[in-house]
Amino acid sequence: MCSQPESFWRRETLGRALAFALLALIALFAPRAHAVEGLRLAIGDISHPALSANDIQLEFSAARSTLEVHIARLRLGDRSWRELHLSCPQASLSAQGVHCSGAQLGVHGRRLPLVLDFHADPAASRVAVELRLSSGAQVRLSLDDEGRFEAVLARLGLEDLSVLASLLSPPGAGELLRYLTRGQVNARLVWEPEGAGRARDSLTLTARFSELAFGTDDGLRAGEGLGLAVELAAHPTPAGWGWQAQVAWEQGEAYLHPLYLQAGPVLDAAGVFHAEQIEIHKATLALEGVAQLAFTARIGRADLSLDDLALSLSGGDLAILGPRWITPLLAPALVERLHFGGQIGAGLEIEDGRVQAFNVVFDAAELSLAAADGGRGFGFGPLTGHLPWLAGSSSRARLQVQGGYWEALALGAFDVNAMLQGQQASFETMRIPLLDGMLVLDEVELGRESEGWLGRASVAVEPVSMRLLTQALGLPSMAGLLSASLPGVRVSPAEITFDGALVMSVFDGYVQATQLHVREPFGVASHVRADLEARHLDLAQLTETFSFGSITGFVDADVRGLELVRWRPTSFDARLVSSAGDYRRRISQRAVQNISALGGAGAMAVLQRGLLGLFDTFGYRELGFQCVLAGGVCLMRGIDGSERADGSFQIVRGGGIPALDVIGYNRRVDWDELVGRIQRVIDDNVTPELH
Amino acid sequence: MKALTKLTRWLAAMALGCMLAFAVHAQGNLEVDSPAISALKASMQKRHAQLAPLYASGAIGFATDGSIALRDASLLPLAQRGGASALVAAENADRSALYREIARANQHPEWEVDIRNTFAQRWIDRAQAGWWVQRGGAWVKK
Repeated sequence: MCSQPESFWRRETLGRALAFALLALIALFAPRAHAVEGLRLAIGDISHPALSANDIQLEFSAARSTLEVHIARLRLGDRSWRELHLSCPQASLSAQGVHCSGAQLGVHGRRLPLVLDFHADPAASRVAVELRLSSGAQVRLSLDDEGRFEAVLARLGLEDLSVLASLLSPPGAGELLRYLTRGQVNARLVWEPEGAGRARDSLTLTARFSELAFGTDDGLRAGEGLGLAVELAAHPTPAGWGWQAQVAWEQGEAYLHPLYLQAGPVLDAAGVFHAEQIEIHKATLALEGVAQLAFTARIGRADLSLDDLALSLSGGDLAILGPRWITPLLAPALVERLHFGGQIGAGLEIEDGRVQAFNVVFDAAELSLAAADGGRGFGFGPLTGHLPWLAGSSSRARLQVQGGYWEALALGAFDVNAMLQGQQASFETMRIPLLDGMLVLDEVELGRESEGWLGRASVAVEPVSMRLLTQALGLPSMAGLLSASLPGVRVSPAEITFDGALVMSVFDGYVQATQLHVREPFGVASHVRADLEARHLDLAQLTETFSFGSITGFVDADVRGLELVRWRPTSFDARLVSSAGDYRRRISQRAVQNISALGGAGAMAVLQRGLLGLFDTFGYRELGFQCVLAGGVCLMRGIDGSERADGSFQIVRGGGIPALDVIGYNRRVDWDELVGRIQRVIDDNVTPELH
Repeated sequence: MKALTKLTRWLAAMALGCMLAFAVHAQGNLEVDSPAISALKASMQKRHAQLAPLYASGAIGFATDGSIALRDASLLPLAQRGGASALVAAENADRSALYREIARANQHPEWEVDIRNTFAQRWIDRAQAGWWVQRGGAWVKK
């Protein structure tokens, strides 16, 4: 139909062909009808390019004013019906034409639930038909002497559509009705041929769909209470039917998995209906959160496949588009934690059903992911730049990030430059300011594999002042530097592993973390594992920093299998010993008291207790302990893992004058309780209770 | 009514706890705990209060791969389907992490698939009557 619109409509329209046929019948038989009681007519075939009818039986009774028409087979276009029967209880046949009221129509022995009136005036070339369906819906069709055809649908409900669909079997109706569950349409369609001041044929449609509902069996595509206003104008062109339309979604809601959408969008489009496809030359979609969205497209008519698309979006408000469109599509599990801000622009090209290119332009965009435990998490922005992608070739992405944060740590401005190819991305070195140092990400590669996004990188931290770092983290101020060289970082959705070492030079010694792993980095079970090695830490600085009294000397520590969940230790095997060497070893009375306080009532004992109040400091030969934390309990041992016969263990072995030993009696220490005590000692400088 | 709701939630949480416990007891080497596993179980139990009505309605069912699935979204109002989809995604993220963590806690990360399969069967076996489970690729109401 669409490929040859002119040949179908211009001169020999369906309606006109019927009118001519009726005119011929009346001209031949009407004069005789006045003279006879009835008329019986048999016509073998009527044939026309647009229609054909076979074995037509017509019987008119003037006495009863009835008309019976039987057609064995009727074809209109590419649709056909068998055994059509029209029974008209009030009919007249005269020179003014044929008139029928209250006719019943049956197809193949089945009576259709509608009543039909029609009037045909062949002399004036006018035909009017009105269908009244049992639901109260009406369909009015009329054709005037200028060839103007009008169809008006009033209050046509879903059941009525089913009736008409069963009668007309339009393409796609079965599929459409399978998913439609409710709805009503009021519409007016007008066809006007060229002439009478019209330069060309034209078709206009005004339709309003209300209370429309549809749904697939699984509920993943559904709409309810939909109100749509459709305006369409079309005209035949050599290429097909040129059209322009506006569709306004005025009411209702829809779920197109995983997107929940509400009324508001308005589509303005123009294009051409071809025989095999629908071409959209120009379309704009008014959508909340988008300044402008325009596209062109080519859609297959048979399966409504999106063959070609060129889409351009500008002025996208990420605060709206993020939660409504981006997160449900890309990261539904993070819908409550992922937040967006700023503006975005985007382009997308699809050819032959395949994505050929897309690009995203960020304008002061912000992206943040809150931690699963309610913490601040991390975020980046404002972020500006261009991220293009091309199928089958490489492209370069350039982004300027004004800053960011990771929990309490602020990150400075940095650039991201990357080559994109297929599902792989290679990044140029990124230098991210971190306090007075620099986080350097080198040789960063990201790729999408079957198990998700995988990546690798080389990470270095150029020295960061411990003073600034501890200040930022809200910890007691420490002197020293933090640096890291982690040449083999591997990232997967389940784990980030760091080969290499992170080193803090603190308290005149150093703490080195190796075997670093972050497991389940983006989920509630996020936890860090590492081995720590501390050497030659100056106890004087350390105890001063933590207001723990005063201990002079140096210690080494090893913490194996340290596991941190939400930055709290949950397991480790730690040992701390005095560093080897010749140095001054003194412990203050307050430090002794604090150590004792940590043990709780009765947990620690101090030998030579009577001397404690007489001296400010005491000499010691060595100090140390071991703690194996598991299941919330720290299993303690003394210096070198020693344990005395009575189950006690020595933490400080005295030496010099006055000498002092500190003995622990409680080997099983509740870790949370111990941490609480340390915190209280540091915060409140509590007076220890000695026994 | 409020008390009944609380009781229902408590029973639902207890049921989930039992399901987890049974699943863990199914194989001796799965009887393992760690702070990460506890965090995951706590997260899942918290979410279970939201999921239980969706299991009962049949909107969400237990799949054969140890995950849950939006089986019949048509049972939910349109405005709730997106939320249910997000719940399913979050629950499945936790479940996958749980299987990995149990494998890690056993010092055998390669057991993840077996652990997932074991849990999948246990989730299905222990699902309450009236809940939907996947068997032989088809959804079945218990």
